[in-house]
Amino acid sequence: MNKLRFSSKRFLLTLMLCACSVILLQNKDLSPNASFSFNIICMLCGLSVCFLLFVPSLIIKRRTGLDFLTVARVKTPSLRLPTAVFYSLYLIFTAEFFLLPYTDMFAKKYYSGVTPCAVALLLVLTCVYAAVKGVNVITRFGIFLFGFAFVTNALMFGGSLGSLDFSLYGFELSGGSGDFWRDSLYFVTPAFIAVLYACLSGATENFRLRQPVFALIFTGVKFALVLFFIFFSLGDYAGKQEYPTFTLSRAARLGSFGGIESFYLALATMSVFMIISLILCAATKSVKRESDVKYVAVFAAIIFSAHICGTYIDSVKEIFTSTGLFVILTAAAALVPLGYVFTGRKSNARKALRNTDMP
Amino acid sequence: MNNSLSEKLSELKADFADSADLTVRVVTLKSVRNIRAAIVTIEGMCDKEQLSQSVINPLMPYDFGMLDGEQAAQRILSSVTASSDVTTFYTKQELITYITSGFAAVIVDGAETMLAAGVQGYSFRGVSEPESEVVQRGSREGFTEPLRVNMSLIRRRIKNPDLVFEQASVGGESRTQIMLCYLQSRTSPKLLGKLRKRLERCDLDSVLASGYLSEYLEDGKTSRLFSGVGISERPDTVCGKLTEGRIAVIVDGTPAVIIVPRLFVEEFQGVDDYSNRTYYAAFIRLTKYLSFFAAVFLPGLYVALAQFHPEYFPTMILIKTSESLAQTPLPVTLEVLAITFVYEIMKEAGLRIPKSLGHAVGIVGALVIGESAVNAGIISSSTLMVVATAAICSYVTSPLYPPVTMLRFIYIVIGGLCGLWGITLAAAVMIISMCSKTSLGVPYMSSLAPFSLRTMRDVFVRADWKTLSKHVIRVQKFKETEAESVE
Repeated sequence: MNKLRFSSKRFLLTLMLCACSVILLQNKDLSPNASFSFNIICMLCGLSVCFLLFVPSLIIKRRTGLDFLTVARVKTPSLRLPTAVFYSLYLIFTAEFFLLPYTDMFAKKYYSGVTPCAVALLLVLTCVYAAVKGVNVITRFGIFLFGFAFVTNALMFGGSLGSLDFSLYGFELSGGSGDFWRDSLYFVTPAFIAVLYACLSGATENFRLRQPVFALIFTGVKFALVLFFIFFSLGDYAGKQEYPTFTLSRAARLGSFGGIESFYLALATMSVFMIISLILCAATKSVKRESDVKYVAVFAAIIFSAHICGTYIDSVKEIFTSTGLFVILTAAAALVPLGYVFTGRKSNARKALRNTDMP
Repeated sequence: MNNSLSEKLSELKADFADSADLTVRVVTLKSVRNIRAAIVTIEGMCDKEQLSQSVINPLMPYDFGMLDGEQAAQRILSSVTASSDVTTFYTKQELITYITSGFAAVIVDGAETMLAAGVQGYSFRGVSEPESEVVQRGSREGFTEPLRVNMSLIRRRIKNPDLVFEQASVGGESRTQIMLCYLQSRTSPKLLGKLRKRLERCDLDSVLASGYLSEYLEDGKTSRLFSGVGISERPDTVCGKLTEGRIAVIVDGTPAVIIVPRLFVEEFQGVDDYSNRTYYAAFIRLTKYLSFFAAVFLPGLYVALAQFHPEYFPTMILIKTSESLAQTPLPVTLEVLAITFVYEIMKEAGLRIPKSLGHAVGIVGALVIGESAVNAGIISSSTLMVVATAAICSYVTSPLYPPVTMLRFIYIVIGGLCGLWGITLAAAVMIISMCSKTSLGVPYMSSLAPFSLRTMRDVFVRADWKTLSKHVIRVQKFKETEAESVE
């Protein structure tokens, strides 16, 4: 694939779509005692933390125009192996964090009786194809996905308007400190896009600080809308079931037109497809400078193997789908670039990277 | 070549192996030295009357006096021939090229200089409306086979010295003349350089149609479904593309002119769009996009819904579809595949059958195979309707017919095996593949991905001419174009 730099705006649009997939695959992670308003406050806190986790890689991008992995490779060649190992493992963990709930939802809610591993295998294979084509092509795909997401959300929300039932309870701030931490932690999960940004931002240009801010704002709006309709359209009981967004799409009807869950499933599939493709690109980038089909295939095989373990061994599945662990690892992965922010001044960083070829 | 006329002629005859169509007329010029000259032509390639009037008649009575061979040749060039198109050349290769192109070569004994007079007069099909690109409001002229006629059709529309025709030849044996056509001020020199290099790489023995060359002009693998090389038989379409910075390649002997780079959104633009009212042009564009999606996805979606999600059908349609499908012996996937395949066979037969038999085949196809098969309960009426709708939709964007047909088969199989989920994944792969494609370095999906708001005024809708004329679209200005990196 060509090594042309592409628009930073488009990359952040793609990352925003990835972040929104958290709410698409949302399961029982939100506290059952928390009200809608309480969740919105938690969401604002969570997304603020997400932005803070973005900051180190944004500074590196602004100073050098490169991604964190390239900067780390140039500035600390001796730490190349540990960095590669840590980021590879983190990215595989992230892939599982999305793939396992997706296949689980697929098998439980959509095609009952299908083997989750077969679904994962086909999905990962298609992701290999996308990852080999490169980040630029995946972000181009993101434009089409954005259009499709717009239509799907319009159908989902439009179809739920008829069943809206406002209860005053939803607007009350009900929830304890435990609920606050639990829900805020859940809303920090989109921070994985900060790590993806740190790994892949070297291929973009025209970076502006407002771009990640807008990406997180739009993610927040999408989260708020989904929560609003889950709370006031589905009702308290249905909202607390597994995969309430799926339930919302299934319950939505536009006159006699139903079946919006098929749109939802297509959107979720494409979102997970895009996340895993980007993860494969980032994982390859962590061990090798350029995209290589062999490395992509190896990482895909590891992700699939981990998925088999996660499907058949409950304890492994619990680890892979643990929100707390995911957030801790994400924070660690997003904050590692902070060390490189403080180790050199702006001019030194530019000097060190002057002779570095573009990723 | 040796300056002796007899040696030149014997060499030429040896090269042509005394071919019956090589015509040599040796004459003795009126001069003190009795200089001999030969007029060499290829039978059927030149107009005999024009040859007589512009070359032979002025040559025979002219008194060359004391002039030697070389001086006589220069005199013929300057004062004797009445042809408006006379040129000099010196090599055997040039001699062969000229006479095989319909020129009359004048070889004077003892002269190194040879002359070629343009007296082409072979018969060719006249300028007529291309059947594959019919328009309602627009020119009725279409390209024809001779290269020079096609050049004139373009020149008549762009009366500007900026328009350049650059000659080249391809094909080791056929030595087919091609003409690169572009607007100098609007075309990127890098893009042009890239195209020239690709044409140089063409190692074919013979180039008999523009399709031979198009594979050499593609970026990357030619096995991809969508083509980054456009073809048009309309001079007005080609001129429109030239003004956007594209390059046309006219191949001698074919009315299909190559246009590069070609983008996906162009497949949905037609000449009529620019003549119609903007709202109607927008409606037609949207209809074309919908037709494309229906042609690709409709049979696959039908199979997926009928097999895996019948609950998504509205109740009345579900009842009728279920009844209809229950009476047929084949599973729905096989049924759709079979009908689509039969349709393709009938289409191929229809294209090659004599026109007088066309109606009979149509009746056999529609009544016997279609209606009888439904009545006999071999196929369901709903399946037939879906396949027929998809088939009609595929002709709305006829240049995309080959990829659409292949994709339709793929989606039918995937829809039958994996349902809607499989179709979603396959669609993602298709979009990724299309987004990764480039045409001479320009992203194939330009305007959409990479997204460009400015060029969107001529994608899903067509803005009015006042808006369109404000910012002229140039293909090398599209985002992420590799115009700066020549291979």
